[in-house]
Amino acid sequence: MIHVHNLDIKLGIFKIKNVNLRIARGEFLVLLGPSAAGKSVILESIAGLIPISKGKIVVNNRDVTYLKPEKRNISICYQDYNLFPHLSVRDNICYGLRFKKDKHCVKYSKNFKTLIKLLELEEILDRLPLNLSGGEQQRVSLARGLIGNPDVLLLDEPLSSLDPNIKWTIQEELKSIHQTMHTTIIMVTHDFTEANYLADKVALIYNGEIVQQGTIEDIFQCPQSIFAAQFTGIKNMFWLSKDKELKSFGLKQPAYIGIRPENIYIHHRPLSTYYQYQGRINSFKNNGIYMEIELSTADTKRNYISYLTLNRFFELKLKKDIPIHFGFNKKDLIVIRPKP
Amino acid sequence: MFGSRPEIIYIIAAITGIIILLFNVFPIINTFYWTDSETLIETLFDREVIASIWLSVKCASITTIIAFLLGIPLAYYLARHEFRLKALIESLIDIPMVIPHTVAGICLLTVLSPRSIVGQFLEQNNIETLGTEIGIVIAMLFVSMPLLIDAAKDAFKWVPTRIENVSRSLGANQVQTFFGITFVLSWRGILSGMIITWARAISEFGAVIILAYHPMIAPTLIYERFTTYGMKYAIPANIILIIISVIIFIVLRLISLGGKEKYDSRS
Repeated sequence: MIHVHNLDIKLGIFKIKNVNLRIARGEFLVLLGPSAAGKSVILESIAGLIPISKGKIVVNNRDVTYLKPEKRNISICYQDYNLFPHLSVRDNICYGLRFKKDKHCVKYSKNFKTLIKLLELEEILDRLPLNLSGGEQQRVSLARGLIGNPDVLLLDEPLSSLDPNIKWTIQEELKSIHQTMHTTIIMVTHDFTEANYLADKVALIYNGEIVQQGTIEDIFQCPQSIFAAQFTGIKNMFWLSKDKELKSFGLKQPAYIGIRPENIYIHHRPLSTYYQYQGRINSFKNNGIYMEIELSTADTKRNYISYLTLNRFFELKLKKDIPIHFGFNKKDLIVIRPKP
Repeated sequence: MFGSRPEIIYIIAAITGIIILLFNVFPIINTFYWTDSETLIETLFDREVIASIWLSVKCASITTIIAFLLGIPLAYYLARHEFRLKALIESLIDIPMVIPHTVAGICLLTVLSPRSIVGQFLEQNNIETLGTEIGIVIAMLFVSMPLLIDAAKDAFKWVPTRIENVSRSLGANQVQTFFGITFVLSWRGILSGMIITWARAISEFGAVIILAYHPMIAPTLIYERFTTYGMKYAIPANIILIIISVIIFIVLRLISLGGKEKYDSRS
């Protein structure tokens, strides 16, 4: 169990405020947030690489707050791999073992065998890092971080500098390693899809503060802030305060309502959705595998964003400025009441 | 490069490059025409010349080792930390490079003379500096140490802090990380700095003659022969010092480049 308690960090004018995290043994926590939110700072402070101003970090009932990084048994992997360029892959992986008191213990040779098999490193063990691809380097970095049975493995955007194909492979390997070795992992990313695939739990960070924590479903289905809603892909957000509007959406108090673009349906004929509108297509944008369509209604003067698959888009023969019916269902409404 | 005609900037670079090379090499080569092989061989067996060259090599080497031992920890600290007075401290370190060397020698003399506190302390402890090898090393160290500190600082900066972070997180303490990772990766840059420091030290004259005219290092001997006997007697010793310095410089350079590490992505 890792318990980060009331953590405050000050780095120049940037501040991390009152971070609280609880991660069960063997759990995969993702710190999710945009760039410069403070995710990596939190990660490095857990590793003991950045001094904290206030708070406590407890790992498996051991207070590590003021321990040096080498005494914490917490390893870290960065997005830019940071392999030791003068050491072979084998020596990179085994680097941490030379500082272990029980370095000859059989558990480490077992870990070595498991990791090189899971990460397919057998063929490159004698090569130097300069001769490896980005994906191979990240695999070596993961093996190096895991071989010594760390209490926690910290991953700082480990997939962000990889090309998409390799990224998926490494992501799967990461999941399989986690399932095989049951290591507690804290990973930093700005990519919601990575969090969705890997995380048992997510902590959403914005501007140095954790704005929401929970399972990925919690955050996806019940975002508790505008930031959380937007970050998880809710493109349609409207503030409702007039009685008539509140009544029509079944609300008693003013609140934001959100609708995901993929839950807005479009057709030339009236739809059977709970909420229905007539409007026009303002614009559309081809995003490669789907079409982002901006719609406007004449009566509410609101613009909506809808996603359609390319196939569906061509099937409907949609064009700019044509009159259109669109709508969404009550079950797809997300109500957000910002905290005061 | 576009088309078959070279770009104007490369033409300018080629012309200025030739001028610079001639400017550097021609005066050195030209010296060889001012003597004959017989005088040169005779000078090779001149004990005074050999002793002065050996003294130069020895003092420059000791200077480089001291600069290394004193400069490396400071260079590492400066490469890794930002603090309020950093720019001031870096400027103070580089001061010897901007003051004339005879001026530097006089500054050192004011500190080492028996009239100063430091001089009195040294005298009480029977440490003679003026007119000794110690004095020569102090003068050489004063003018050459900034070169090593600056080179080592740049070499350390090239090693990412994150690679040290990884090493620490894997169980290596700061000293183990420094010697196992940082120093190994910055070694080539440090070695280049040591070569430049050595070269600067062996070529030092202005500060040395103020502190120690005797025992004579090679530049002092050459200067004395030039002022006393003229060009004819100064040039053979001059040539021998050039040859020895260049050979040592090339050997050290080859050592630093030899086995240019396969892992060095700068190569």
